[in-house]
Amino acid sequence: MTDTPLDFGDPADLDRLRREFRAWLAEHPLPERQSGEPVPVFLRRWHRLLHSGGWVGLDVPERYGGRGLTALHQVAISDELGACRAPGVPRIGYLAHALLEFGSEEQRLRFLPRMLAGDEVWCQGFSEPGAGSDLAGMSTFAERHDDHYTVRGQKLWTSYAQYSGLCLLLARTDRAAPAHKSISAFVLPLDRPGVTVRPLRAANGDDEFCELFLDDVRVEESERVGAEGVGWALAMTTVSYERNALDTGHISKYGLLVERLRRHAAERHGGLPDGLLSRIGRCVVDYEVLVAHARRRTAERLAGQVAGPESSVDKLLMTRTEQRLYDTALEVFPDELAGEGGELFGDYLYSRAASVYGGTSQIQRNIIAKRILHLPSNG
Amino acid sequence: MDREEFVLVRDMVRSLATRFGVTSADEVKPSTRTAAQQALDELGLAELRRTSPPAATAQECALLAQEHGRRPLTTSLLGTVLLAPELLRLLGAQPDTRTTPTIALTRELRFPGQASTDLVAWDCEGADSALRVSAEGTVGRVELGPAAPGTDLVRAVRSVPSDAPVEVVGRLTPPDRLRWQAYALVVVTAELVGAASSFVEQAVEYARVRRQYGRPIGSFQAVQHLLADATVLVEACTSVTRYAAWCLDNEPPERALAAARAAKAEVNSSALEAVYAGMQVFGGIAQTWEHTAHLYLRKVRLGSTLLATTADLLPALAVPEVTR
Repeated sequence: MTDTPLDFGDPADLDRLRREFRAWLAEHPLPERQSGEPVPVFLRRWHRLLHSGGWVGLDVPERYGGRGLTALHQVAISDELGACRAPGVPRIGYLAHALLEFGSEEQRLRFLPRMLAGDEVWCQGFSEPGAGSDLAGMSTFAERHDDHYTVRGQKLWTSYAQYSGLCLLLARTDRAAPAHKSISAFVLPLDRPGVTVRPLRAANGDDEFCELFLDDVRVEESERVGAEGVGWALAMTTVSYERNALDTGHISKYGLLVERLRRHAAERHGGLPDGLLSRIGRCVVDYEVLVAHARRRTAERLAGQVAGPESSVDKLLMTRTEQRLYDTALEVFPDELAGEGGELFGDYLYSRAASVYGGTSQIQRNIIAKRILHLPSNG
Repeated sequence: MDREEFVLVRDMVRSLATRFGVTSADEVKPSTRTAAQQALDELGLAELRRTSPPAATAQECALLAQEHGRRPLTTSLLGTVLLAPELLRLLGAQPDTRTTPTIALTRELRFPGQASTDLVAWDCEGADSALRVSAEGTVGRVELGPAAPGTDLVRAVRSVPSDAPVEVVGRLTPPDRLRWQAYALVVVTAELVGAASSFVEQAVEYARVRRQYGRPIGSFQAVQHLLADATVLVEACTSVTRYAAWCLDNEPPERALAAARAAKAEVNSSALEAVYAGMQVFGGIAQTWEHTAHLYLRKVRLGSTLLATTADLLPALAVPEVTR
């Protein structure tokens, strides 16, 4: 943590990028989701539109189809989208980083441009029924042959696999080595013989999550990402990008709901019980904290600090904000609980997952204790 | 200040804290108080915020206040060095080194409203008068009465005689009154952040060495999670306070005041909760008079009512129009 002054403002070139992007948005109306159109299909249309303007993968080098700018430029775009209530940036950043850091040059050239363009949709095959928090305990096995592997096992919580063409898959390649050294990563085309995708209905009624059954699926050696055994390191890089506080698109989404609560409080001033008014105030504070926190992370990056395990702090703060916010919103808008429940009720249900996906809150606390506070390990 | 200059000033405050930081409540005596304050005065830091434009940004002042909060100190860095000179600067008053005012607050330690309110001179070690800002922004100088007892054992507070004459120093413009409130909130909040973060770090250090059941208590997951949660709270406090300070330097006063209020609201509850967690890790020893834990607790608990309480802030923050 830097304890000297930080600049929380945007440097001039970020400011210029924001203005360019706003001008582009003014000329390209946001697409509307058609009735009955599944969310991922709608998001893919949006992804392609953004890509046509050159607004996807700003921090990816140009030779792989990006713009060769920095993560902070990507953050600025995410911020602008949130501010105008547009759907967020396509959530491919963490996958792109896995390929950039661990993939071969041939794989990067082959996969990244199509990923960025939205021509190929990816999903993430990490968790298993028996390996959630204990990801290293996965049992899906990739058996080595001369120039290929045969994969057997089952994956779970693979978001939108039914709409995806490719999967970043983790599987064990060594039964004897310690867990953290025996996992490898693969790019698996989901139309391979032996792959079965089964959507799972989530608590809010959406079929985002899927199960993936892998019955003796052939995967080529050239489809392995990085060396054998680097899968764990790859997974850790990926999830820390997933947990980043710099994902300001998410924060803007909270900001819109906070404003709605405040407007309601202003209209009903005096009509809301004191306790509820304070709870709305608490949501405002949570939101301001998160905005300030994301800006501080940006400022620290600009000051030359590299990202580390502090993304666990970021995720716990995001979780706190999201769960308290949706809980308060239901209290303020009780009609959302009537009948089958409104849209806000669906979002409330989804907010309960925030402390589970991407590493549970307990896992984040373990990471903070060990990697930030350096507390001694048990036994 | 440029970065090197700031680091130099911060390190001066840091070494002052090492020399004069109280390691037990019994060390708080008039003679040690005077010596510590003299050492602070010799640093000449009141100049940082006396000139216009000021030599130090609000963010730099907040970082110094944070540094000051890291140890129990009897020195009046906040009152006489950071707050009162800022008030005079906003008034455009000529720098006057012959007097050392601090600031006056109500007996409940809030911003004074009505002129007739019962006042105290807050953080008045080495001060010879106090500046009071009325609800309309009139700034008056008042005399100091005898020492007033306080729950924060290291902070000096004196009463202000109710019949004492008020010498009017000037009047703040409405935007400057907002700036003043935001600045005061940020400086006070930053000191509490320093206290909470330092105390949690000490608790982490203790968890590494204190052994029970044959191993360090920091190896137990229950203790680890307690400290991890306290760390998240301290990080939240740090982020929101630093951003509020930056807003004072870069944003309009309304925005800076809103950010400062959000920071105070977060710190009121989170810094206190972080200190509770730290005390729980220290266990029995933190319940004794000799240990510094209660000095941190006293500062942060009283600090959560200082200038603005959670009960004041949350309902006001819930409604966008209200800019009291």
